Amino acid sequence: MANVGFARRSLGRLIPTIVLVAAAIFFIAPLLSSARFALQNVQVFQLGKSNLFDKWSLSEVTKAFHEPGFKPTLYLSLRLALGTVLLTLGLLIPTALLVHVKLAKARPAIEFLTLLPYMVPPITLVAGVIGFIRPNARWFVASNYALIPFYAILALPFTYRSIDAGIRAIDVRTLIDASRSLGAGWGTTLRRALLPNLRSAVISSSFLTATVVLGELTMAQVLLKRTFPQFLAEYGRKEGRGGVALALLTLVATTVLLALLTIVTRRKNAATGAGGITETLTSGPTTVPRARA
Amino acid sequence: MSIIDIVEVADGNRTVTGAVPRPRRSWAWLGLLPFVAFLVLFLILPAVGVISRGLHTASGSWSLQPLGDALTKERKSFLNSLRLSLVTAALGAVFGTLLAYAAATAKRPKWLRSLVTSFSGVAANLGGVVLAFVFVSLLGAQGLGTRLLKEAGWDLYGNGFKLNEFKGYSPGISTVYLYFQIPLMVLVTLPAIDGLKQSWREASSNLGANTFTYWRRVGLPVLAPSMLGGFLLLFANAFSAFATAYALNNQANLTPVKISFYLQGDNSSGKSPMPYALSTWMILIMLVSMAGYLLLRKRAERWRT
Repeated sequence: MANVGFARRSLGRLIPTIVLVAAAIFFIAPLLSSARFALQNVQVFQLGKSNLFDKWSLSEVTKAFHEPGFKPTLYLSLRLALGTVLLTLGLLIPTALLVHVKLAKARPAIEFLTLLPYMVPPITLVAGVIGFIRPNARWFVASNYALIPFYAILALPFTYRSIDAGIRAIDVRTLIDASRSLGAGWGTTLRRALLPNLRSAVISSSFLTATVVLGELTMAQVLLKRTFPQFLAEYGRKEGRGGVALALLTLVATTVLLALLTIVTRRKNAATGAGGITETLTSGPTTVPRARA
Repeated sequence: MSIIDIVEVADGNRTVTGAVPRPRRSWAWLGLLPFVAFLVLFLILPAVGVISRGLHTASGSWSLQPLGDALTKERKSFLNSLRLSLVTAALGAVFGTLLAYAAATAKRPKWLRSLVTSFSGVAANLGGVVLAFVFVSLLGAQGLGTRLLKEAGWDLYGNGFKLNEFKGYSPGISTVYLYFQIPLMVLVTLPAIDGLKQSWREASSNLGANTFTYWRRVGLPVLAPSMLGGFLLLFANAFSAFATAYALNNQANLTPVKISFYLQGDNSSGKSPMPYALSTWMILIMLVSMAGYLLLRKRAERWRT
């Protein structure tokens, strides 16, 4: 009998195991092939057993670094990311705190509003910028930094959820009462009592915003802004191998960023249990995970 | 006032003994103004602007004509987009659920589940340009995978496969889209799969059900709302995706790429309602599928405790 049970159990695991192995192949193969393509200077049709270990080098990566467009576009994207993070935090932390402490009734309405960006994908948002905002404020759209508020909009569903979860995990009212009764004003309360406790939520929403900004092509492409993704798309069309090398590097950087974030927030989450990257990306009660391809 | 009254006041039973508190007018909602103004200015007004321009003819009169024109003139790209989104959403929903189930129920290795969720987080958020280039190195005409498959006896390009073509079922671009669709589905269905209780399985097997009956009568009905909702989410996601398609082929015959094409042509004259009419269709499709997703998710949460 024990044998029958074992056989059935291992048969029951057979399908999941096949699924896992197939998924591993599907998801890892493109990464391996792009690493080889970028780092090994041997064309695919020449590749054989004899030259499998020949001509590996980082020259494509360093060549991409010296491309004239590389630095300015990366700096612009980093500045846009910083601006979007600051705008997001400055706007969302007070709003989410206010909703939590004083306006519980407004919560469903605010949560609904934070989902609206899903109804207006980037390509239609940029249509709105060209068709409606540009005719009315040409000077604004002419600036590279005009992208910042729209990037904040695109990241809003992630960021609001992350900050809201962080606020829910701490006892905001007690912190406020304690701080106020010790004589602190609202500014001091926010700076010295609330923000330190919201650290992990602030970090995770910042990192999420940064990955959105550093990966977003649609709006920059249509508005002809020279951001890093726009440079990457153009460079890759011109220099196949260099483009793949740079794409791979971007991928590694994003992964390291998200891994760091998981580590940083996990330590904090042990205590608070919320606001981490996984919770933010998986479907909680208020947000929808969404790819940005 | 006796001592008892004061105690009762301190207990919060003011309505019994103390005066009824006057409802205080709260000005706190004014604090929401910056946030709401921000949304109105940078999201709602542009969206309303798009829809309004999609409903005006080039000469400036209200009409449904542009919406109809968009569908007839851009019928092909619209159908391509619909088909691509339906195919990748259906495949993504099925494989994503399978993968989520496999990862959630695996006992060992212990780190498997967190690896799958973390990877899904990264892959579902991957920039489209990066994704496109990575796949060119695998399944492009000179890709490593193309070569390996050819040596195994399957000549992809000899059979008319093309990574950047948008015709028929476009197996090339569909494969690329699955790279973000499957992980997204994993993230969406994992909570529902965690909600499948071991005790349901035991109960059904005590009642004489085999594995097949369990899935038909218990497992799938519980998962169905999440899967259907996930399908709608994936559909919306693929329909609005721009970067992957654009990086693979900037002439791609898909609605989002067509919108960008018309918008860039719109730089000088700015009269044609075409990009706005196409965008209006897109917003409508997003509204319907996202509303369906949110409703179904509410239904799916019934089983979670």
